[in-house]
Amino acid sequence: MKEEFTGRMLRVHFGEDDRWQGKPLHEAILAKCEELGILEAVVFRGIEGYGSASRIRHVSHWPYSKDAPIQMTIIGAEEQIAKLTPYLDELVEEGLVAASTVEVVRYSRAPERS
Amino acid sequence: MLQPGKAVKVTIYLSDGATHHGVPLYSSILDFLFFRGVAGATVTKGIAGFGADHHMHSEQLVDISDRLPIKIEFIDSREKVEEILGKLEELAGTGLIEMQETTIAKPAQLSKPVKPLLPPHLKIEDKAQIMRIFVSEEDRWKSKPLHEALVEALRANDIAGVTVYRGILGFGAHRRVHKDKPLVSSRHGSIMLSVIDSAEKLRAFLPIVDQMVEEGLVVFSDVDVVKYAYRALDMKQQETPSASAPVEARP
Repeated sequence: MKEEFTGRMLRVHFGEDDRWQGKPLHEAILAKCEELGILEAVVFRGIEGYGSASRIRHVSHWPYSKDAPIQMTIIGAEEQIAKLTPYLDELVEEGLVAASTVEVVRYSRAPERS
Repeated sequence: MLQPGKAVKVTIYLSDGATHHGVPLYSSILDFLFFRGVAGATVTKGIAGFGADHHMHSEQLVDISDRLPIKIEFIDSREKVEEILGKLEELAGTGLIEMQETTIAKPAQLSKPVKPLLPPHLKIEDKAQIMRIFVSEEDRWKSKPLHEALVEALRANDIAGVTVYRGILGFGAHRRVHKDKPLVSSRHGSIMLSVIDSAEKLRAFLPIVDQMVEEGLVVFSDVDVVKYAYRALDMKQQETPSASAPVEARP
């Protein structure tokens, strides 16, 4: 099944060691996105960067070192994203959110009938 | 490059251990001077000293030996120095900056001959679109990973460029959280393909995506692109070979 509509895309930037109530921030945001039924949310880890925290963040040779830059791409309908933004205001203490209006094409398998 | 004659010598006195954005301050300043094209700079470390706060810093006291004095010196033209002085004052923080008139007797020579420069590359600015395709790493197309098949299809259709990103965590059309588990082979991740080309070419490619992607999301947004290219320069020269100097037809 294919649907086309206009939606919103958020790109949220912060650091991998940022936390929300002891939990990694990206996991907290992801859980919120799921709860709101947002279409797509993906977390990417950068290999180097700097941002609002004004520190050079980078992944050292130790493969699971923290403090890498994190970018979350979140896509949803206008209303879903509008519901998410107040939570981001609360959860993201230091970071950057870039929003843009996008044309969305969604492919989904037709619900199975038995 | 410096010329013999009048110039300005700048000396910055810092305390070792000072940091700027998490890196040693002297290295931050050195980077700043380097990328602003200053002719040359030297950092020296003192073995003892004191500054405005009148604390003696010396090598002998282990506990404060990380606060030894650091001196950065560089020489450049007055215009260059004035151009960067503002930012330099900001960077130096509590440190001291001294300037003095100097005369260059002999400028430094390049240790290696300069390589012949490549012809300047071409800068093309244009309106384009970015198409992001979200699929799962385990999705397949004719027994091949779907994202790899998509890259091949994009290349076969002359799309300008694509980059594939693997997410560390995410959920999508499948409504289930993908997690990149370290130490376990991570074959269940979210994949994003970021494709850039003109709106027309991307729209023309969409029917192919329709065929290949069963579950997933495609998102279009407008971008302004700046492209740097050598190859395009050759093509442009071929297109307009006789703009200023007509070339005779060769057999």
